[in-house]
Amino acid sequence: MKKILSALMALVLVSLVFPVLAGAEDVVEDFHGAVLNVFNWGSYIDEDEQVLESFKKKYNCEINYKNYDSNETLYTKLLGGDDPWDILVPSDYMIERLIKEKRLQPLDKSIIDNLDNLAEPVRNLAFDPDNTYSVPYLWQSVGIVYDTTKLDPALVEEKGWEIFLDPSIKGHAYMYDSARDAFMIALKSLGYSANSENLEEIDAANEWLLNMHRTIDPSYVTDEMIDGMAEGLKWISLGYSGDIAYIISENEDMAFCAPWQGTNIAVDAMVIPANAGNPRLANLFIRHVTEYESSLLISDYTGYASPNAQVLEELYGPGGTYEGNSAYMPRAGYAADEIYVDLPDLAGELNHRWTKVMAAQ
Amino acid sequence: MKSFVRMSYPYILWIGIFVVAPMIMILLYAFTRGGNSTLTIHFTLENFGRFFSDPDFMRVLWTSLRIAFITTVVCILIGYPAALFIANLPERRQTLMILLITLPMWINMLLKTYAWRGILLNFDDMSSEIKVFIGMVYDFLPYMIIQIHTAIAKLDRELLTASYDLGADKWKSFLKVTLPLSIPGIISGVTLVFLPAVSSFVIPKLLGGGNYVLIGTLIENYFLVAGDWNFGSAISLIMALIIIAAMYFTRKIDRAAEEE
Amino acid sequence: MKQKRSWSFFTSGYLILVLLFIYLPILYLILFSFNDSKSMISFSGFSLRWYESLFTNRSMLQSIWTTVEVAVIATVVSTVIGTVAAIGLSKARRILRTIVLEVNNLPVLNPDIVTAIGLMLLFLSLKVRRSIVTLTLAHISFCIPYVILSILPKLRQLDDNVAEAAMDLGANPFQALTKVILPQIAPAIFSGALIAFSMSFDDFVISYFTAGMDVQNISMYVYSMKRFNPAVNALSALIVVAVAFILILANLVPYLKDKKNKKEE
Repeated sequence: MKKILSALMALVLVSLVFPVLAGAEDVVEDFHGAVLNVFNWGSYIDEDEQVLESFKKKYNCEINYKNYDSNETLYTKLLGGDDPWDILVPSDYMIERLIKEKRLQPLDKSIIDNLDNLAEPVRNLAFDPDNTYSVPYLWQSVGIVYDTTKLDPALVEEKGWEIFLDPSIKGHAYMYDSARDAFMIALKSLGYSANSENLEEIDAANEWLLNMHRTIDPSYVTDEMIDGMAEGLKWISLGYSGDIAYIISENEDMAFCAPWQGTNIAVDAMVIPANAGNPRLANLFIRHVTEYESSLLISDYTGYASPNAQVLEELYGPGGTYEGNSAYMPRAGYAADEIYVDLPDLAGELNHRWTKVMAAQ
Repeated sequence: MKSFVRMSYPYILWIGIFVVAPMIMILLYAFTRGGNSTLTIHFTLENFGRFFSDPDFMRVLWTSLRIAFITTVVCILIGYPAALFIANLPERRQTLMILLITLPMWINMLLKTYAWRGILLNFDDMSSEIKVFIGMVYDFLPYMIIQIHTAIAKLDRELLTASYDLGADKWKSFLKVTLPLSIPGIISGVTLVFLPAVSSFVIPKLLGGGNYVLIGTLIENYFLVAGDWNFGSAISLIMALIIIAAMYFTRKIDRAAEEE
Repeated sequence: MKQKRSWSFFTSGYLILVLLFIYLPILYLILFSFNDSKSMISFSGFSLRWYESLFTNRSMLQSIWTTVEVAVIATVVSTVIGTVAAIGLSKARRILRTIVLEVNNLPVLNPDIVTAIGLMLLFLSLKVRRSIVTLTLAHISFCIPYVILSILPKLRQLDDNVAEAAMDLGANPFQALTKVILPQIAPAIFSGALIAFSMSFDDFVISYFTAGMDVQNISMYVYSMKRFNPAVNALSALIVVAVAFILILANLVPYLKDKKNKKEE
């Protein structure tokens, strides 16, 4: 046993030392190995984490980089622990809640002086109009990805969200397991607001979802839909535009539809918790990530839209990774599209109802 | 010999802190209603009523138990002969076999399940239920084999020789000697297979293509996503009670076998 | 004689089939760790790119280190506590033993998520900051029951008279323990430690709730992956090779020793 373990450890040790041997760059400001704690979504940075590596070199610091998989997990973690995170990347409605609960600290604009690059659609967002607490990291919309060899694009465009009530896709659909998004498509489909708190409207949306469950018997998944659609395992899925942009870049039979009934536009933004251990380094990090080079690497790998106008244009434009890939560029300025508002009283109820839909016969 | 009893005291303290106290917390949550961070002591049975009055939840519970039960039975059917055959090998080869069987346990379960997903995607016609069973049996089989093997390997060889001397044939000695004496191994195998299988949700999720909502998924959902710890605790408690009841009966069989 | 041979043919055939089943996904992992593309379904060509990407991925390497560290500590501590407790319990009065075993069984019986939530609530109410320490404590506490479960049946079958005879012959209790009892239960301790290690190595749910989030083991890493990163195939392949290598060594050494001894005789 011991031998096995020590061999394993040796193996791991060797591999840990290996990357350290790479060359060093100029240090801009020396933080003497201080640790910056960054809590981000999974697979939400460039593949080799170059963005983190270059920051570490620039400021002679360490980064403790960890992932979470939903805003709710992040919130539960924040509630539960007193882990001193320096950087979080929650979505719009969660930032709204964190601001309301005074869990964030104002950003230092004398450090983050590069916000002129922000693209038009992510300026003056309702949850934090002056970027007092947050700077957009990536943004996206919720949409439909489908296999053009199985489904007629004209039909999908015409039906929009209603395609999820079409018996012809029975057994061939993924549904993203997210209560808020599921209720959003039902509410939008019925012509209501995605932020509706009207119980009659929610009842109607609930009925819509049950109808969907019975009609198309979808597979309820989360991120498995990304690999699944890229491999062509199903015909159609609900998804996030960034993931769909990636799916389309991997499998050209796939196409994106932003339903005409309107959808959710979501912005994930960097914030600094009130109890952050190293605010100066955190502000520098936000500045670093907002720079053109970092933003390009991140957006290029993830497929999510960059908040940096120049990056957005380059990746979507001629010769860019996502040239003409409609999923990459979220629809801007469409009146029926909405950003989520925090609904703390309703969240549990929507979740309970959604669980019941998935478990229904 | 009695002085050895004292050796169990540190552990008794340990389980007081790390086993009993957490369970009390869960009990508290299951029988109360209220926020997440502040525990308002107001006892209620509402959480349980909500679960049992709901046919959807009852069906989820039933599916979970059924899948776990079939997985366990298949593990015994495949694992018992394997354990028996291994026990009959020369000693050094036995060690090798056991090591070979435990080696895959070093590979992360999620990764092995991803591998199965890849393999099984090549079989379009196979029903997702069979895929789930393959994944579940795969994950739990080594535990069953090891437990049964441990029980058989420690059998006194002389017992078998004696039974041969008394004229029993191989089959009869197996039925009369090996099998009854290996039942404790089966029981601990069942403990290691059935119980985690009931609450397992990752394998059904990855291999069943998201068509299964199981009790583990429910609990996970209520704790992590909905943040309803009270209802989540209640479901956990219900599940724990059903499982403990199931174990009570298996242990009865164990005792009956021992007395024989 | 003939019948015997065909029977042993059948049993080895059966064992080979079981091994094939157990190794199929592992061989598949190894094969696809050399895949040129990201797919886990179709093999498009040979490449070492996932090995390269494994050695440059800091968070993945860090998570492996955490996993090993926690598993080693949890295995050692839980095996020691578990063995000591099992020996104590085997000599305890029936009532005490029954009660402690019932409680001991709880973490085994309980779904992981229940154990996880319970421990998390405990740490929170004691205002202990969740970290690698709480993670390790949690692992130790869910490993001990398995160690006890695997040792106790063996202890119950031991002949008390042997240890008593040893003490009658002048051995003190400690000697009776180390010279008589421990050697007899060594295989059970070993299998208990193995189970503890693999439980800790594999655990996701309990870690997820007890680790705080500045610690991440490999399961948590894999689970939080949005897209499957085949570099983890490369990692698994390396673990398989390392473990297999040790395994061969461990089996070769006693064999060679035997040979040497025989020659010397």
